[in-house]
Amino acid sequence: MNKKEVYQILKRTLLMLICVVFSHSLPAQQHVVSGSVRDVNGAGLPGVSILVKGTTVGTITDAQGRYSISAGSDATLQFSFIGYVTQEVAVGNRSVIDMILEEDIQQLGEVVVTALGIERSQKALQSSITKVPGVGLTTARENSLGNAMQGRVAGVNISRSQTGVAGSSRVIIRGNKSLGGSNQPLYVIDGVPMDNTQFGQVGLWGGTDQGDGLTSLNPDDIESITVLKGAAAAALYGSRGGYGVINITTKRGTQRKGIGMEFNSNYVFEKVYRLDDLQEEYGPGGLKLDPANPSGPRIFSKPASQLEAWNWGNGSMWGPKYDGSMVYQFDGVQRPYSFAGDNWERFYKTGTSWTNSFAVTGGGERQTFRFSFSDLKDTYIIPLQGFNRKNLSLTTNGKFGKRFTFNAKVMYSNEKTKNRSLLNDSPANVPYAIWGLARNVNVMDLYGDPNKPGAVPVGTITPDLKKPGEEFSQASSQFTQNPWWAAYQMTNQNIRERFITSGELRYNIFDWLYVQGRVGMDYYTRNSNILVPQGTGYLRNGSKDHTTSFVKELNLEWIIGADKTIGNINVNAFMGANKMTHESETMDVLGQVFNIPFFPSITNTNQKNIFYGYTKTGINSLFGSVEIGYKRFLYITATGRNDWFSVLNPLSNNKFYPSLGGSFVFTDAFKGLPEFLNFGKLRAAWGQVATANVGAYSIQPTYMLYGGGHLGLPMGIYSFGDLIPNPNLKPALSSEIEFGTDLKLFGGRVGFEFTYYTQRTTNDILAATVSQTTGFNSTSINIGELTNHGYEILLSGTPVQGTVTWDVSLNIAHNKNKVVELAPGIDRVFIDEPRTRAAGVYHLKGYPYGMILGFVQKTDPATGKKVYDAQGRPVRSDVYEILGNGVAKFTGGLSNTLTWKSFALDFLIDYKFGGDLYSGTEVNLTNWGLHKQTLAYREGGMPVEGVIQTGTDSNGNPVYEPFSKTLNQEETRNYWSYVTSYAQERFVYDASFIKLRQIQLEYRLPQKLLTKTPFTNGSISAVGRNLWILYRNTDNIDPESTYTSGSAQGVEQFAMPTTRSYGFNLRVTF
Amino acid sequence: MKHILKLAMSILLILIFTAGCDTDELHNLNINPNAVTEIDMNFFMTTAILGMASAGPLVDNRNTDYTNLGFAGHAIQHFAGTGTSAGDKYFEENISNVWQYFYRDSPKYAAEIIKQTGPGGIYEGKQVNTRSAARIIRPFWMHRLTDFYGNIPYSEAHRGIEGIYQPKYDKQKDIYIDCLKELDEACAAFNASDMDYPNFAKADFLFHGDVEKWKKFGYSLMLRLAMRVSNVDPGLAANYVTKAVAGGTMAGNGDNAWAQMAMGPYNWVNQNGLSRSLWPGDGGLWSSNLFSKTFIDILKGSDPSSTADDDPRLYIFTQGPIKWSATDLGVILEPDPLKWIGLPVGYDASMINNEYGGGNPVTPYEHFCAINTKMLRIDAPYLLMYAAESEFLKAEAILRNIGTVPGTAQSHYEAGVRLAMQMYTPLDPSFTVTDARVDTYLSQYPYDEANALEQIGTQLWISKFLMWWDSWSDWRRTGYPVLVEVNYPGNATGGKIPRKFLYPPAEAAGNPNFADGATKPDKMTTRVWWDGGSD
Repeated sequence: MNKKEVYQILKRTLLMLICVVFSHSLPAQQHVVSGSVRDVNGAGLPGVSILVKGTTVGTITDAQGRYSISAGSDATLQFSFIGYVTQEVAVGNRSVIDMILEEDIQQLGEVVVTALGIERSQKALQSSITKVPGVGLTTARENSLGNAMQGRVAGVNISRSQTGVAGSSRVIIRGNKSLGGSNQPLYVIDGVPMDNTQFGQVGLWGGTDQGDGLTSLNPDDIESITVLKGAAAAALYGSRGGYGVINITTKRGTQRKGIGMEFNSNYVFEKVYRLDDLQEEYGPGGLKLDPANPSGPRIFSKPASQLEAWNWGNGSMWGPKYDGSMVYQFDGVQRPYSFAGDNWERFYKTGTSWTNSFAVTGGGERQTFRFSFSDLKDTYIIPLQGFNRKNLSLTTNGKFGKRFTFNAKVMYSNEKTKNRSLLNDSPANVPYAIWGLARNVNVMDLYGDPNKPGAVPVGTITPDLKKPGEEFSQASSQFTQNPWWAAYQMTNQNIRERFITSGELRYNIFDWLYVQGRVGMDYYTRNSNILVPQGTGYLRNGSKDHTTSFVKELNLEWIIGADKTIGNINVNAFMGANKMTHESETMDVLGQVFNIPFFPSITNTNQKNIFYGYTKTGINSLFGSVEIGYKRFLYITATGRNDWFSVLNPLSNNKFYPSLGGSFVFTDAFKGLPEFLNFGKLRAAWGQVATANVGAYSIQPTYMLYGGGHLGLPMGIYSFGDLIPNPNLKPALSSEIEFGTDLKLFGGRVGFEFTYYTQRTTNDILAATVSQTTGFNSTSINIGELTNHGYEILLSGTPVQGTVTWDVSLNIAHNKNKVVELAPGIDRVFIDEPRTRAAGVYHLKGYPYGMILGFVQKTDPATGKKVYDAQGRPVRSDVYEILGNGVAKFTGGLSNTLTWKSFALDFLIDYKFGGDLYSGTEVNLTNWGLHKQTLAYREGGMPVEGVIQTGTDSNGNPVYEPFSKTLNQEETRNYWSYVTSYAQERFVYDASFIKLRQIQLEYRLPQKLLTKTPFTNGSISAVGRNLWILYRNTDNIDPESTYTSGSAQGVEQFAMPTTRSYGFNLRVTF
Repeated sequence: MKHILKLAMSILLILIFTAGCDTDELHNLNINPNAVTEIDMNFFMTTAILGMASAGPLVDNRNTDYTNLGFAGHAIQHFAGTGTSAGDKYFEENISNVWQYFYRDSPKYAAEIIKQTGPGGIYEGKQVNTRSAARIIRPFWMHRLTDFYGNIPYSEAHRGIEGIYQPKYDKQKDIYIDCLKELDEACAAFNASDMDYPNFAKADFLFHGDVEKWKKFGYSLMLRLAMRVSNVDPGLAANYVTKAVAGGTMAGNGDNAWAQMAMGPYNWVNQNGLSRSLWPGDGGLWSSNLFSKTFIDILKGSDPSSTADDDPRLYIFTQGPIKWSATDLGVILEPDPLKWIGLPVGYDASMINNEYGGGNPVTPYEHFCAINTKMLRIDAPYLLMYAAESEFLKAEAILRNIGTVPGTAQSHYEAGVRLAMQMYTPLDPSFTVTDARVDTYLSQYPYDEANALEQIGTQLWISKFLMWWDSWSDWRRTGYPVLVEVNYPGNATGGKIPRKFLYPPAEAAGNPNFADGATKPDKMTTRVWWDGGSD
């Protein structure tokens, strides 16, 4: 049975299920009751369970605290919520029942899922933990969970890589803590870690973003997300929680009568958000001798032949002003020498994304279940690019006898990503080709063969003598792609099939003592193929690559725990052990040179080369935690964990790390506090986490054989690539202290949370750049040290309450990072460089993580004037100078909810300040004469004033003299060429931005409309994401532009254009 | 009681599980199932030899040959182009390809062989021939690197595994002294009766274990190195010229070092990188590397209106202008050799249009000679060292009275010309040049004692076709032939052919030993030690 058939069957089953429910007739006396549940401060309470007393019929409130349930007029509704006094109300004839729940001082406060999935009272928490309800992520959607969280949590800095559909995102909690590590948090689903391997980034030579693990998740399955920020909070997750933990709680079935269903449909359009603003006055061309003055300087000239047009076909807008005369183009056809109109509009299409999710829940006293299915179909702005995802999940929770409980879960996802874009460098880079195209050319004229977009049509002779069916190149550089060819012919595909499964069994030995065992597995296979078709400029014989891999992570865990109250003292303690293994295997077959013309199968290739990779690593751990509470206002918690790492030398492979913290609810401890102070807590925590950022098999030198050998002879190589092994590595240690307070004021209408933290990583493991004369590029060393200090503020309030209610919350985070130590004698570590190769990202001792360095125009230290050469061109600095830092210092968001009757308006504004962006796009646009800044003095007359070096003094220091010159056309062209090669400070922008990230207007269908339908609740919303950049300092690009979610932040070049999306969401339950 | 029993059992279970937190099982996870801790050094020998023919398994083999062709081939004016680059019009360029890829390829594997067969190594005292070959391969690369850049890390290079992460710089003079010593010792140590000989013979796809040929390779290289320092250290030169000649350099074209390349399995690794750099089927850049006027004029001889006085190699190197695509493999556009011309050096497209098109656009490849497609089979053998060079160097040594060399300058010169003209048959059988044809050439252009140094330099220059890197070094040393220097606007050398590569910025910024050890100033006009620069 193939996949298609499986889905067919699945679809039929679901349809049948829907029919069964629809035909289910409700008892005549039953009617629908709806309303909202709020706390005494008027804030909606999500997750309140509402039960028809004496039955198993129940529901829970949504994120705004709203609910609806069907009940008889004689029924009594029971509202219960942990931490609040349970209330009962007789229904009578009412169809709307609004309820206010009071906090139960006898009970603990709101519970939060913390380490290992253990629920703890919020009052007892010593470190900052932020909870994001799942509903906020489902109405207006993103394909990746990472992007969806942007701006929502103080202290979480999310960078979306602009790499097209299903790209990866960089999620940094409280700053970068490791020089060499990923710095990405650990994602945990219901207590089981998930693999978030990034399978490939766009780099110096281009390539695709192969996505990360976060695209596998169905947002409709997410009940809530808890972000554990501090080391103390994450300590129990072990080393992989060292960069923070994102804890995902999925939805479960609830005890109810019959079967409950939810259906959600979301349809959005995706369009390019135009930021490009290029010159439209001068056409393609170059410098030629002036026929009127052949011995004089050269002048800008139009293409005089097909060959010249082809030579200037991409990125050479250095011709004269458009004059409408007929000139040759790349295809030998003469067309007017004038701006050909908007090629972006012609090429980029409107993408669409359609998600349908369906869930069934049910259960009785002993067991509940939830089954969900979701289907996402996304087509992107580039033809043929798309992302399809199907998710299935089944969760069940049960209780056997008095003392056994269990839960089990299977989540399956099938992700198919088509034609991820190659970015940055030019090969197969569609945005590059569109940006650089000569602007007197209509991109439709590049379409070529109508049956094979981008191919040479029959009858056209190209300067590179390509045959019909081969790539129709617009430019002489064989690395410049025809955008249609890149989109339609240079195809690639990934399919990931993933199972995340877990099972948990708990036995309550006594009421206060339990043992629990848990097994979790994340297993997936990935199949990728990449086609470079025959006839492609830079690889004319073509190639096809197939990669198959699997990743398996297995976690086995035992816990024994106790929870006992004696008098005023409550003790909650547990200890346990975890054994993690992570295994991956990759088989890659690269076939080259097709035999049968234009038949793109790997079986049709002449040469095949095989690459094989395998790694397995493991971590064994022991851990424990003791929390002591006194009178429910004073809590002390201590934890400890010891990890043993397989990747390290057994002599130094383990580390014990503790945490200690306390919280004090002073509003509960003291009487007689001012009345406006409803709740107040002080908290402090200290914690450590050990990490071991070391790949498998990289502590001792070993040898292996290379691929296919040569002439049948085996070729010996080192097995460790370019990273010299180091047997003396030990775990790095991150220590963090945080202090904070949580306050609720004025009847809860104002909330305030503040946290200050200071963090230090020592013995950080980093790949230190070594001289290539060693024969290698780098080695892992254990000497790095870096610090992060910062604060987080969350201000929330309800300024307006009544018919119209306005809830607002503002989060602000500031992080200051410093690289304290790299290694003796090393003051910088290379991370990556952009394609311009005139700048790079480095860790620089004494500066924040990831500094952007590059050549700048030299300055005379005495006068501060810029240095020029005799031709009036900028002279570059001797070495790379500091240009900026790509990591924003301030991040946050402002979220608003306005409700009025059945309407709710949500909008989220987010911002980042204090980061820089080096734009390779702007460098190229300037060098190509497309940037508007190249318009001034283009026809000559540019004044240049500065100094020129005339010699050196006796100490060898340069001697400068004043210099001025008026540049002619040729000199102006050369001036810009040198600016773009050397004066890189001209291309560094303040990357600060404020964006309207999300807006949604929801209309809840009135109950009277729904009573005649099987639906119990319904809403329809207009949604939009990434709609508007309210503030930016960049010219032609989005300040968030980047092609990587890796460590090299703050550089970009020809990433995908920014997009905005808008559409509709429909949600019904029945 | 029942509860206590349950509790005890639960705790027991946990203890059983947790007892194994730091176990062999965990340690064994870190043993790579696909790697070994010891390997036969002959497997490294194959890798090291392959790496001599452009790059080995490290990288696309074109990366290094782009420098060979695009920089050196243009700088010494076998080729010309209409673009602006370091080799062509002397624009400033960081040529770091060779630094990045040579250091991390062939000489690294040679260094590992030398280490593991040397004191304290796994194969100490064994694999004598493998060791000797490695001691030839390492100088083969290291002398090239120092020729390009000047002072470079040598004695501490390739010792990263020992913990030397930022090697010190050695003076070029010291590198030459050590390379010559290594060659001397290596050649003496070859021993065909060594126990491990069969394994070496199998792995050695250059000479298939023929130690006599390895020795000739070693002594030929020694002669090259000795002559290279002859302008600045005549004593060192004389000593090793004598040794090399006595040891026996390559005597015939049968001794030449051709590394056999293959179609697969991987074009980046197994194919001929030089062919690939030009082959249009694989994105090669043949049409931007057309023959220069300087080169074609010399090959066409003194009478441009006659083919009778042409150098026979003209017809090996080129077929005139061609049209070449993946499907039209070298269609000849101009069958009449009298009309063949080379592209003048230092011209850009508009200058070409002006001079050859009367102001109208000219397609360069339709006008100027391109490389003969027959030279560029992508599995063609890759030429590493050849006998003619030794003959030319011997002729020069006799003329300049360096060391003890038997014979006369004329006899060696004429032998060199013959060998050079007849050495291309491994590329294509049609490249045969008969003895009679060589004799005709030698009678048309007889040896002339008065201009012998220029004749030798020019012949050496022609014979270094395919090995432009080394030709650039020859030219810097001898000054022959006299090349056309161009002063294109914006060039970085004041119109002088570059004499040194710039060090890679990453090395200059990253290696603290750079500041005191490197050859300064780091400019393309700075001369290295043997070129008359400071030591």
